[in-house]
Amino acid sequence: MFETRPRILAVGTSNPPDRYVQSEIPDLFTVDVPAIRALFGSSHILTRHLYLPPPNADGLPEETQGELLAKHLRGALEIAPIAVERCLADTGLTVQDIDYLACITTTGFMAPGLTAHLMKHMGFREDCSRVDIVGMGCNAGLNALNPVAAWAAANPGRNALMVCVEICSAAYVFDQTLRTAIVNSLFGDGCAVALVRSAVSDERAFAPRVLGFNSQIIPPAIGAMRFDWDDQANKFSFFLDRDIPYVVGQYAERPVKRLLAEHGLKRRDIRHWLVHSGGKKVIDAIKYNVGITEHDVRHTSSVLRDFGNLSSASFLFSYQRLLDEGVVRRGDYGVMMTMGPGSTIETALLRW
Amino acid sequence: MYETLRFDETDGIATVTLSRAGGNRISMRMVRELTAVCDHLEDTSDARVVVFRGDGGAFSDGIDFSDFHPDRPLDIHGFNKWEKLCTRLERLPKATVALVDGPARGGGFQIALVCDLRVATSAAVFQLPEVHLGFLPGMGTFRFAKYVGLGHAKRIAMTCEAISGSRAVELGFIDRLDDDLESGLAWALGALGPNHTVAIELTRRLLNESFATSYENAIGHFLAAQHRAISQTAFLDTLREQRKK
Repeated sequence: MFETRPRILAVGTSNPPDRYVQSEIPDLFTVDVPAIRALFGSSHILTRHLYLPPPNADGLPEETQGELLAKHLRGALEIAPIAVERCLADTGLTVQDIDYLACITTTGFMAPGLTAHLMKHMGFREDCSRVDIVGMGCNAGLNALNPVAAWAAANPGRNALMVCVEICSAAYVFDQTLRTAIVNSLFGDGCAVALVRSAVSDERAFAPRVLGFNSQIIPPAIGAMRFDWDDQANKFSFFLDRDIPYVVGQYAERPVKRLLAEHGLKRRDIRHWLVHSGGKKVIDAIKYNVGITEHDVRHTSSVLRDFGNLSSASFLFSYQRLLDEGVVRRGDYGVMMTMGPGSTIETALLRW
Repeated sequence: MYETLRFDETDGIATVTLSRAGGNRISMRMVRELTAVCDHLEDTSDARVVVFRGDGGAFSDGIDFSDFHPDRPLDIHGFNKWEKLCTRLERLPKATVALVDGPARGGGFQIALVCDLRVATSAAVFQLPEVHLGFLPGMGTFRFAKYVGLGHAKRIAMTCEAISGSRAVELGFIDRLDDDLESGLAWALGALGPNHTVAIELTRRLLNESFATSYENAIGHFLAAQHRAISQTAFLDTLREQRKK
């Protein structure tokens, strides 16, 4: 029997209008601690798009938790529609054709969720189904693709839209400590949108089928990546353990092995790797533990360099760059791989 | 099953013997068969060490031109397949040894270069004859200078100079001269055999990358690789052994 699988039919990305040169950010605010200034001098991230406030009288960015949450919603509603339109541009579809909307955001705690705001803002149909995936972190794009693909498979011919929108600058705490500076120097703002559909009429389309997923949760490392309340700052604050790259590295091979084994594939059968741009050390850990090369992570590294870590949206930015490169051929296999709080590693197998 | 080589696997040692009349020249068929050998070595083999050698007093005389026809359009894809094979041989999850007797020319030279250890007899002849024939010595150029330095590499590749086994030892790209290849093999197995495969694989990768990586990148690569090594049971066994002492 001929089986129709969900496909990623189109993708679109967007970022806030203001782009910052990484090395100049410490000079925009009063940042005197040499170790913190040095964080902004590394060559792995050169630019990021951010929503930053002007400095206050003390030369610091000052925003209350309420202002940060408002900035998140404002930013999301500015950049998500652009990415949605870019995603749909070549498909002949409008938001009126979307039957299922998933919004993914790590830091946007709100009710109603982003889906409701985006549907009102962009004029989606009133009978469009929706789901919000909030607070899962950098891995969440694949945690979302899994149910989105399942929905698409269960509803053949209907259009599912996945919107990963991350306003990480709405989660910054400036307290002149290294802990927050690591976060503030790493995460950027951006949105990536993917259109997923399972339709017999797409069988000839040059778009990858989503063949399967495999997950790896690492319970001992549950505290390694956290977004929790900081009583002193009176804000939510990210914490990143310095051992994250090594924890992720140690477990990275397991879900990949299972994913490939399930489909009777070897690592050498995989032509394209779409790895989350978590940071330089995380990318190194994946390279040396999964046994993939600098070339395999070229888009992962260049997305990190140009945008920083875009949390759940990063891997789709890499996917967009892979498509733009024009090297993908029909029949090629690709692996998507994201990692984040849990600690967790998520993988998906694609075939063009 | 193979036409251009013999494959044997005994007591954890896999041996690939290139075997074609007229100097074990590398045909596209041999490339395909070596690729199949790689599949086996990566997927199903329990061997710890892989040995490459040649039949009939030669290692390999290089490319077999009978796959190319001057009257038909030539393309680059066969060369690409060959280079991909060399990279796979270089990255095998096993220690690798080349035993060279007689000529190792062109592609044959390169097979020796991608191995971890190289043993040669005094009858061995290493040569990159490509420039004389009007084409290029493959990615052997990329690898060879790392062994001998740019000066020697330029002269040897651009003048097609033939290098004897003993001279190759002096230049540093052959590890041991031994007219008895079996005793040379015993040395190589003794030297590599007890070492841990994952540690060998990662050390080899870092060394192969060393000439093309900045220190800032290399230190990150090292830490990632080292963490992988110390997470293996082999290293924990070492720690337990050390405690007993």
